[in-house]
Amino acid sequence: MKHVFKGFATAVAMTAAGAIAASAAMADTSWPTKPITMLIGYKAGGGTDTKGRVLSKILARELGQQVNVINRPGGGQAVALESFKSSGTDGNTFFFGAVTGITLNPQINSALKFTNQDYVYAGALTEFQVSMVAPEGRPYNDMAGLIKYAKEKGGIKYASLSPGAKIIMQAIAKQDGIKVDYIPTKGGRGMVQLVLSNQVDFAYSGGIQSRYPGKIKTLAAVSTNRLGNYPDTPTLDELGYKGVAMDAPTVVAFPKGTDAAIVAKMEAALKAASMDPAMKKISEAIKMPIVYLNSKDASALVSNSTAAIADMLVAIDYKKQ
Amino acid sequence: MIDELYSVAGSAFAIGNLAWILFGVTLGYLVGALPGLGKGTATAVAIPLTFYLEPLSAIAFLVGISKGSTAGSAVSAILLNTPGEPSSTPTAMAGYPLARAGKAQKALKMGLFASVLGDLFSTVVLILVAQELAEYALGIGPVELTAILAFSMVFIAGLSGRSMIKGLIAGLFGILVSCMGLEIETGSPRLTFGLIELYDGLPLIPVAIGMLALSEMMIQIGQRQRLSDEADLLKGSANPEDQIVTLADWKNCIRPIVRGSLIGTVVGILPGLGASVGSFLSYGAERRASGRGADFEESGAIEGVAAAESADNAVVPASLVPLFAIGIPGSVIAAILIGAFTIQGITPGPLLFLENKDLILGVYVSMLAASVMLLFIGYFGQNMFARIVRISPALIMPIVVFLCCIGAYLQGGGTFGIGVMIVFGIIGFFSKKYDFSFVTFLIGFVIGPSFELSLRQSLGLVTDLPELLDHPVAIVFAVLAVIGVWRLTVLQRKQMAEMAKAETN
Repeated sequence: MKHVFKGFATAVAMTAAGAIAASAAMADTSWPTKPITMLIGYKAGGGTDTKGRVLSKILARELGQQVNVINRPGGGQAVALESFKSSGTDGNTFFFGAVTGITLNPQINSALKFTNQDYVYAGALTEFQVSMVAPEGRPYNDMAGLIKYAKEKGGIKYASLSPGAKIIMQAIAKQDGIKVDYIPTKGGRGMVQLVLSNQVDFAYSGGIQSRYPGKIKTLAAVSTNRLGNYPDTPTLDELGYKGVAMDAPTVVAFPKGTDAAIVAKMEAALKAASMDPAMKKISEAIKMPIVYLNSKDASALVSNSTAAIADMLVAIDYKKQ
Repeated sequence: MIDELYSVAGSAFAIGNLAWILFGVTLGYLVGALPGLGKGTATAVAIPLTFYLEPLSAIAFLVGISKGSTAGSAVSAILLNTPGEPSSTPTAMAGYPLARAGKAQKALKMGLFASVLGDLFSTVVLILVAQELAEYALGIGPVELTAILAFSMVFIAGLSGRSMIKGLIAGLFGILVSCMGLEIETGSPRLTFGLIELYDGLPLIPVAIGMLALSEMMIQIGQRQRLSDEADLLKGSANPEDQIVTLADWKNCIRPIVRGSLIGTVVGILPGLGASVGSFLSYGAERRASGRGADFEESGAIEGVAAAESADNAVVPASLVPLFAIGIPGSVIAAILIGAFTIQGITPGPLLFLENKDLILGVYVSMLAASVMLLFIGYFGQNMFARIVRISPALIMPIVVFLCCIGAYLQGGGTFGIGVMIVFGIIGFFSKKYDFSFVTFLIGFVIGPSFELSLRQSLGLVTDLPELLDHPVAIVFAVLAVIGVWRLTVLQRKQMAEMAKAETN
């Protein structure tokens, strides 16, 4: 419980910082004049979708127009992002989802024709608690212990739930010179099953471990800054893995060329949403703390994270698929 | 346990809660009865409706929808040969010929009774063993799953029709097609032809609708004249015994229902198998036990309907066992319910029975109530839906094709889904004309990704051969699979010999 409160303290502090920047660009536009669409790149019923649907109701109240949620699942949000790129700059369609669909995926997949430059970012609202986890019963409690264990055993088994998870681990393995067996899993729940049944030594998690207290322990944060739910857990960067990080906030984006006044109005609505009791309740329920970023900070995060991932890919000699 | 259930009965039987269950079951049954719309669609679409409900009502409502739609999908399967979802495919195979023989009412009623019994059995199992069984379910890792899937595939290969070779071709084609999409570990695209829509693989529902419903419509349109002649038959035979479930029917069906309920429950508890595996396994077991072979699909079989429906419905409650106790969903429905639980601030997992015990018990009581409601809604709702058989095929076919398009559109990412449906409609048309088992194809398609994943995980997890000894469950299933291959080959040879003998006579 203590962690959650600390998380909120962080969130409140960041919100206050954001407010100063946001007030600089006060919106002056008649947008929206008709119902607008929130595009989600995952199926209905998942974590991002659940959050998006609550957000859509709050935004509808703030903007004075209906906000319809459209799900276009496929390819780790790629299907949604590809169609979204050319969906018009009138502000009538906006994207809500994890930023890794924009920062990571186009860099590892040559078929994707969009980049982080194709969108403008109104802000970020929450963040996935990306971290390295291990089964509770294992003899190590931090990354140093894990690496020592790996060297003693001659290798370790790692549940890898996405290409991004594999890239992070390859970077770590390369730096420490350890042998890793990559066990592919389907999504967070497949990973949890392998961890709970003690079949792997450790895993990458998008934050789902918070639902299994006393069963899964968190070794390190994969994000650039410490995580809201785990303020006492060091980041990989702090542990000496320089440049090994992958941030996963949920951002709200428009296609490039959208009127700055529209983006600013959405930014203000997002800020209001970040303080809304319903949003707080759902964030607490799904253990995904509110971390509001204004348009400027979110845009900076996107370009910094894209560059950091590019460096990591070079470091591990990644061949684009 | 009984005392505890009694103590929460007050809140579960509150008028408001009962009304939500009734609404859920009715809505689910209606949606399930529409061709191409199944429990996954029904439950997913209903989730936003539950934002403002009390936790118990919200979960009870969704469980009602999933139970109703699972049973309801038998209606379109039997009457129109268009299953609402893949798991109702065996129902269509055994039940549609019955409808053509004027026994639609009988098939529908037996299907409903089997559904309710399978559902009830599985719900009772959920209530009694959720916590205890969960620990065993956790032991089912990739190695065990690989062996179980291999065993399932061997078993289902017994369904492949007259020619084992054609069945194998169809099944392997299904597995090949299921390889489309991003490779899971590195994300490299396979067989995607540069289409981003194919990155998550072909969408299951449009493929199934195309193979089953659309191809059937194409074949039927080609036989329009004969169909108009047969329309009289579809109106229902004059023999009143064909409209009801007789004592003799019960005698024939009680064994497949018991077996189906058991199979469905076990499949539901094992994460990752899904309702399709349950209903196909149960159907295949009954088909084998009856010794009637292909006659099952040619003249229809009430036992086949009972076997498939009891297993299909038993999967849903049983799949909540791993969800409630360890937070891992055993089915699509369970996965969707996770979303509903989290909206209510409840985390399915190890703490559920400690922190929200009253809620879980309330859900149990609500599920039992939903089973009873299902029986009544289904019994009276069926009469309403059975009326569509009185309409001329010339009017039904365009409507079915239209509904197929809606299902493919909703579940396949828009117009892309309709394109997929048309392509597989054409493939299905030719596979039916040339007697390639489209069922084996679909099973290969459904099982393919889980088999690949669990096999690859096993290869990473078991690095030395002696380590296999740590997985006795896997060894048992692997041995069973080998025995299955041997038995099936012997049986097939015997049948071939008999056929050859019959031809020379």
